[in-house]
Amino acid sequence: MDRQQEFVLRTIEDRDVRFVRLWFTDVTGTLKSVALAPAEVEGAFAEGLGFDGSSIDGYTRIFESDMLLQPDPSTFQILPWRGEDEPTSRMFCDVLTPDGEPSAADPRQVLRRQLSRAADMGFTFYTHPEIEFYLLQSKDPGPDGQPVPVDQAGYFDHEPGGVATDFRRHAVNMLEAIGISVEFSHHESGPGQNEIDLRYADALQTADNIMTFRTVIKEVAQLQGNYATFMPKPFGQHAGSGMHTHFSLFEGDSNAFFEPSAEFHLSTTGRRFIAGLLHHSMEITAITNQFVNSYKRLWGGGEAPSYVSWGHNNRSALVRVPLYKPDKAGSARVEYRGIDASANPYLTYAVLLAAGLKGIEEEYELPEAAAEDISALTSTERRALGHHSLPGTLHDALRIMEDSEFVAEVLGETVFENFLRNKRQEWDEYRVEVTPYELQRNLGIL
Amino acid sequence: MVAPASENSGPGRKSLVSAGFSDWTRARELLASPELETLDQQTIVRILADAPDPDQALILFIRLLERAPVLATVLEDPARSRAVARLLGASEALGEFLIRRPDHIDLLVDPADAARTAPVLEPEGLAADTAPLRTLLLEAVGADATAARPVATLRGKEAAAALRIAYRRQLTALAIQDLTSRDPRAAQPAVSAWLADLAGAAIEAGLAASRADAVEQFGQDADRVDLAVIGMGKCGARELNYISDVDVIFVHASSLEDDHHAAAIATALASGISKYTTAAAPEQGLWEIDANLRPEGKDGVLSRTVESHGEYYRRWAHTWEFQALLKARPIAGDPGLGRDYIDAIWPLVWTSSERDGFVSSVQQMRRRVLDNIAHQNRDREIKLGAGGLRDVEFTVQLLQLVHGKTEDSVRVRNTLDAIDALENSSYIGRSDAESFAGAYRYLRLLEHRIQLVHLRRTHLMPDKPHALWVLARAAKGPGEPGPSDAAALTSLWKRTRKGVRSLHEKIFYRPLLSTTAALSADEAKLTPEAVRQRLAALGYQDPAGAVKHIEALSTGVSRRAALQRQLLPVMLGWLANGPNPDGGLLGFRRLSESLGSSPWFLGMLRDSSAAAERLCQILSLSSYISDMLEHLPEAAAWLGRDRELVPMPFETQWQEIQAKMSRHPDPDEAIRQIRLIRQREILRTAIADASGLLDQGTVGRALSDADRAAVLGALHVAENSLFGHPDQRTGLPGGPVGTGTVSNGSNSTGTSTGDGTNTAKSPATVRNVELTDLLVVAMGRQGGREIAYGSDLDVLFVHRPHDGADPEAAQRQAVELSKLVMSLLTRPCRPPVLGERPLVMDADLRPEGKKGPLARSLDSFREYYRRWAEIWEVQALLKARPVAGSAELAEEFTTWADSVRYAGDPGPAALREIRRIKARVEAERLPRGADPARHLKLGRGGLSDVEWLVQTLQLQHAADHPALRTTGTIPALEALVRERILPAEDGEVLDRAWHLATRVRAGNIVWSGKSSDVLPVKRQDLEAIARWCGCELGQAAELEEDYLRSTRQARQVFEKHFYGS
Repeated sequence: MDRQQEFVLRTIEDRDVRFVRLWFTDVTGTLKSVALAPAEVEGAFAEGLGFDGSSIDGYTRIFESDMLLQPDPSTFQILPWRGEDEPTSRMFCDVLTPDGEPSAADPRQVLRRQLSRAADMGFTFYTHPEIEFYLLQSKDPGPDGQPVPVDQAGYFDHEPGGVATDFRRHAVNMLEAIGISVEFSHHESGPGQNEIDLRYADALQTADNIMTFRTVIKEVAQLQGNYATFMPKPFGQHAGSGMHTHFSLFEGDSNAFFEPSAEFHLSTTGRRFIAGLLHHSMEITAITNQFVNSYKRLWGGGEAPSYVSWGHNNRSALVRVPLYKPDKAGSARVEYRGIDASANPYLTYAVLLAAGLKGIEEEYELPEAAAEDISALTSTERRALGHHSLPGTLHDALRIMEDSEFVAEVLGETVFENFLRNKRQEWDEYRVEVTPYELQRNLGIL
Repeated sequence: MVAPASENSGPGRKSLVSAGFSDWTRARELLASPELETLDQQTIVRILADAPDPDQALILFIRLLERAPVLATVLEDPARSRAVARLLGASEALGEFLIRRPDHIDLLVDPADAARTAPVLEPEGLAADTAPLRTLLLEAVGADATAARPVATLRGKEAAAALRIAYRRQLTALAIQDLTSRDPRAAQPAVSAWLADLAGAAIEAGLAASRADAVEQFGQDADRVDLAVIGMGKCGARELNYISDVDVIFVHASSLEDDHHAAAIATALASGISKYTTAAAPEQGLWEIDANLRPEGKDGVLSRTVESHGEYYRRWAHTWEFQALLKARPIAGDPGLGRDYIDAIWPLVWTSSERDGFVSSVQQMRRRVLDNIAHQNRDREIKLGAGGLRDVEFTVQLLQLVHGKTEDSVRVRNTLDAIDALENSSYIGRSDAESFAGAYRYLRLLEHRIQLVHLRRTHLMPDKPHALWVLARAAKGPGEPGPSDAAALTSLWKRTRKGVRSLHEKIFYRPLLSTTAALSADEAKLTPEAVRQRLAALGYQDPAGAVKHIEALSTGVSRRAALQRQLLPVMLGWLANGPNPDGGLLGFRRLSESLGSSPWFLGMLRDSSAAAERLCQILSLSSYISDMLEHLPEAAAWLGRDRELVPMPFETQWQEIQAKMSRHPDPDEAIRQIRLIRQREILRTAIADASGLLDQGTVGRALSDADRAAVLGALHVAENSLFGHPDQRTGLPGGPVGTGTVSNGSNSTGTSTGDGTNTAKSPATVRNVELTDLLVVAMGRQGGREIAYGSDLDVLFVHRPHDGADPEAAQRQAVELSKLVMSLLTRPCRPPVLGERPLVMDADLRPEGKKGPLARSLDSFREYYRRWAEIWEVQALLKARPVAGSAELAEEFTTWADSVRYAGDPGPAALREIRRIKARVEAERLPRGADPARHLKLGRGGLSDVEWLVQTLQLQHAADHPALRTTGTIPALEALVRERILPAEDGEVLDRAWHLATRVRAGNIVWSGKSSDVLPVKRQDLEAIARWCGCELGQAAELEEDYLRSTRQARQVFEKHFYGS
C-alpha cells in the first residue's frame, strides 16, 4: 500500500466519511459513479472494483462485460456540498480490462495518448475553457412547454440580490473548496445564462475539472432549489451554451504560439496548429457537438460559429486569435469556439489537440484570416471565399466522421466504433420523433 | 648553430623509428626548431619514445616550451620527463590546455610542490583522498568551503572560467597519474572514481556561483532554500569517464512558507549550475549536465522535494527509472538533504521487482541490449551491442535487481563493486566474476584512452591504423607488455567482447541449474529461492514447476543429460523470449523424454544451437505444434535443416501414399498410414511457418495439398475395399485415375503402382462390380487452396455411371463410396494416430443441402443447376476444384462448372439476391454474443466480406476477363486490380484485411491448439497472437488496433463496392 492510499484511508477514518464515490466517464462524457462503503476502499485499491460494463455506454458489449475500476488516490476529495453530516468523497478511476490493462474504451485513455504524443514532440498542452450554462427554475418546463429561466438579465448584468449572483458566489466557493480554480464568472446574454471560466491547466486536469464542475454546478443549483443545464440549446430564441476553449502549446517555458515579430504575434507553429484545427474541423464536429440538440446551437444564429474560418478577434470565426498585450508572450493562445457545453471533454480535447499537432507535423498552410462577419455573407460569397460550413445535423456530422481515418486513429478503433454506434442510435431515435413544431405547423392545416 | 636538417645532424632515422615517430622528415625539422636549441635532441627522442603518439608529443612539447621555458628542466628527471611524454602523447586536448594556461606547468615540472593544490599528485597517487577537490574548486570561485551554503564571490564569466581552469588543472594531474601508472587496467576503477568526485566538486562550485546569482535575484529567501545534487548513472556510481554527460537529479528543501516560491528558487539554483560548467565563457565548457532522468523526464519540474520525489517513484515510475536510481548518490549541495533523499528513495529500488510489468520490462531491456541496433559504426562500438560495456552493466544490474530484494549486500552502485558483492554472495562464480570484471576494466580503459585524445565524448574504436597503434601504446603502461600494434589491439578487443558475450549467458543462465548436481565446484551455486527469483524475473509464471523440469532434464549420467546440462541454461533464456515459457519448458521435457537418446537429437543439442533456439521459440509459442511434436518427435530433426522444412509437393506425397498402400493392403492399415503422412506434413508446414520460412499463400497451399493427398488416398482405399484391387477388378471401363493431375494435366504418376502380386483382401468386404466413377470436388477455401490449420473440407461428390450401368445402382454405389471416404478419414484407427486432428469432410454445400443425396451424377448436377439453382449456388461453384477421382470426369466437371460460373453477368435481380443473402447472413450467422468487430470470418470486414465481394465481381466479370477465372480469393483479387475492376488502393485494403484475419485465425489454433474465429480478448492470448503475427513483445494492443482498423477499412471498401453505398 502506498502513502497516498494510506492518506485516503486515514482521511476516511478521521473525517468519518460515510460514502466514497468512484467516478469515471462513459463515451458521451456522462459522469458515472459507484458508491463504496469505506470498508471496501482498501480492497478496491488492491484489486480494483469489478463492475459490469455492459450497461455503460461505450464500454463493452454484453459478452465481455466485466471491467475493473482502479481508483486514483491522488484525486481524492471530500465533496463539499454534502456538508459535515454524512461526509461523502470521490475519486476518479482508471478503467481497466479484467487483465489489468488500460481499457481501450476509456475516454481518459484517449486523451492521455494524445498528450503523450504531444510530449514526444516536446509540447505541453494547456487549455482554458469558458463554460456556459443555464440556470432554470426547475427541471420541469413552464406552462408554455418551455424551460423557465431564473432571471431575465443579460450579458455581464449585475442583478443586485439576484438568484444568479448568489448562485455564482456559492458555486465559485464550492469549486475552490474542491480544488478547482476559477478565473472569471459572469452573467451571459441569455436569461438565466451564466459563464464560468476555469483557470489554465493541462488538458487532462482540465477535462477532469470539467467533469467535476458540471456536478458541482448541478449540485449547487439543486441546493438553491433550482436546476442547472449544460444542454447546448435549451431555448430556440436565446443563445446556446458553448464551451469555447483557449489552447496553448508550451515548449518548456516558452509559448510555442508566440512570435513577437509575426502577424498577430502568431508563430509559424501557431499558424499550423490553427490550420490543423480548421482542416479537421468538419470530421471532429460529431465529437465537439455530439447531440442532436448541438446543431440547433451551431445553426441557431447568435455568435455560434457555423463556418470553417479563423480570424483575429473575429467573433464569428470558428477559431479566434484573441487580443493580448504583446509583452505577455505567455498568454499567446487560440480559441476554438465550436465546442458546446455538453461535449465529452476528454474526447474533444484529444481530437482538437491531434488536429493541431497534425497541422504542425504536416505543415498545413493557413488560409487567409476572415476579417468580416462570416454569417452575414451570402452563401455564394462564402463559397467564393472558401469558407466551408460545419455539418448541419448530427447525421451529417456522423457521416463525415465515419470516413475519417484521422478521427479513428485519434480515438482508437474501440472508442471510434462505440461512439458512432451510440450516436447513430440517438439519431435514429430522434428521427422518428414527432416534434411540437410539426404539430403546431401541420396539424391544423393538414 | 643549428644546421638545416640534414642526414648527418640530429638523431638518425633508426632512432626515430624505434622511438615510434612516423613522419621522420617532419620530426627532424621540428627537432631543429630554435626552441630546442639548447637541448639534446637525442634525449628528447629517447624520452618521447614513451609517448603513445611521439609525433604529436613533439609538436606539443615545442609549443609548450615556447610558452613555458621552464619545461626544459624535466629532461633532467626520468620520472618527470616520462610524465610529459605520456601526457602530451596521449592527450592533445590537455596539452593544448597547458599551452593555453601555462601557469599550470608546475604539474609537470614540479609535481611535488604541485601536489599541495592537486591531491592526486600526492605520493599515494590514486589512493589519495579526493576530499580536497571540493575545497579547491570552491575556492577557485571565491567561495568559503566551510560554509553551510557556500556562495561564490566571483561572478559571471569570470567565475565560469575560474571554475573550468581549476577543473582542468585537476583533470590534467589525474591524467598524468593515469597515463604513467604501470598497470592502467588495474588503475581504471580509481581513475573513474576520481573523475566522478572531480565532477561533483565542479558542480559544487557551479552551485556556489549559481547561489550568488540567486541571492541577488531572490534576496534573503535564497538562503532558506537548500539544494542537493544527486548524481545518477556513472557519476553516481563513481565510475565516470573522462568526458561524458553528468546525469543528475535535483532535490530541494526549504523553510519558506510558499512552496511555489521555494520551487522557483530551487529551479533557479539548479539551472544556474550549467551556466558555470557548460555555457559559453572564456575557457571552454566542461560537459553537459543532464537532468532528464528526473521524474517525468524533460517535461518534469527541474527540482522537487524529497516527498514529491517519493510520491512519484511510488506511484508513477517505470521499471527502468528504478534501474537508473540504483546508481543514485549525493554528489553536491546540502549533504544532509542528499542523505534524506537517498534514505527515502533508494529502498524503493529494491522493491521494484515486485511491481507489475517488471518481468516484461526486463525482457524488453534485455532485448534492447542484445539488439544490434543498425548502426553505421557498429563494428567499432565499445559501449553498445553484444559484448559491449552496456552488456556487462546490464547483466550486473539485472542480477542486482533480481537478488537485491532479499540480499542486502548486493545493494551497491558501482559495477565492479557489484560484481564483487555478487560473487561474495555466491550469485556469480569466482572465475566468472574475475573474467567479467577484467573485461569490464579493459573496455573502460580503452574508452578512457580514446576520450583523452580530444576530450570528446565517443565510444568508438578509431578506424585509422595509426590511431589504433597510438591507442595500443596508450592503453598499456609505459614499457609494460601488452598489444603494441593495431592488429594485436583489435584482436584482444574482439576476444574481450566475445568473452563478455558468453559470460553474460554463463553468469545469468548457468546458475539456474544450481538445484541439480550439474554445476562444477567452481561455478556459482544459487539457493533454490534465488533460482526461483531468477526464473520469475525471466518470465516463468511457475518457477517451482520450472525447477522440477530443469532437475528432471539435467539429472543423470546419460549423454542426453550431460548435453542438456550444457545447453539448458541458454534454452531457458530462449524459452523466456516466447509468450509461454512454462509451457515451452514442459514441452521440451516431454520431447526430450520421448526422444530418449536418439543420436540426431543429441547431435542437434550439441551442434546446432540455431535449431535448439528455433525449437525453444516454437515450444514457447505453440501448444498446437508442441502437441504434435510430442507424438511425432522425429520431426524435431527438421529444425536444424531448412531444406526439410520445405512443404512436400503434392506429387511426392501421393507417391509415398501409393507406396504405403501397396505395402499395406489392409484398408485399415493403409488409411492409418495415409493419415500419418497427412499429420506429418501439417506439422512440417506448421514448423516452417512458425520459423518464418513460409509466406501465407504457401502455407495455405501446403495445407491444402496435405488434405488433398489424404482424400485421394482415402478414395483409393475406399475403392479398393469395395471393388478389390484395380488389377483384379472386373467391370466397366473408365477406372479411377489416381493423381492430382485432374487440375494440372500432368499425368506422370500414373494410375496404380500395384505390383501384381496383390492379395488385398479385406475379409469383411464384399466384392462389388464398379458401376460409376466418383469425383471429389473441393469447395470453399480448400477450392482456392487457401485453408488454415484445422480447417474442415467442404466438398461435392460428383459421379458418372459407367455406360450401361443401372443408374440407380450406380447412384447407390456413389453414395456408399462417398460415405466410406468420409468415414475413412475420421474413424478411429488402431493403433490410434496420436494427436491427430482428423480431416472432417462437409458436403452440406451440395444441391438441396442436407436433404439432397450425398453424391449426384454430373447429369443430375447439370439438371439441377439448369432448373433450380439459386444464385448463391452458382457463387459457391466459383470455388469448385476437383481434387480426387477420374481425370476425365474432372475435366468434364470443370468444363460444365465453367459454363455455369463464368456465364456472364447474372443480372441485377441475381445480384440483388446475393446482396440480400449476404445481409441476412450478417444478421443471422454471427454466433450469439459475438462481437462483429472481432469475428474473423463473419465479422465486419472479415474473411467473408472480402470473399463475397471478390466472388460477386467474378460472377459479373469473369466472362469478359478470363484472368478472373480462378478459385483462389487472393489470385482473383489481384486479377480484379490488374483488370482495373477494383481500384488498386481498395484491393490493397481488402488484401490486408484478409491476410491479417487469416493469420490471426491460424495464430489462434497454433497458440492454443483450439480453433477459434474470434480475435482473442484476453491479453495473454492476444499477446501470443501478436507474436505469431510478427509483432514485438508487448504489442498486443497494437495488433488489436491494427486488426480493428484494417477490417473497418475493408468493410468500407466492401460496402462501397458490394452494397454500392
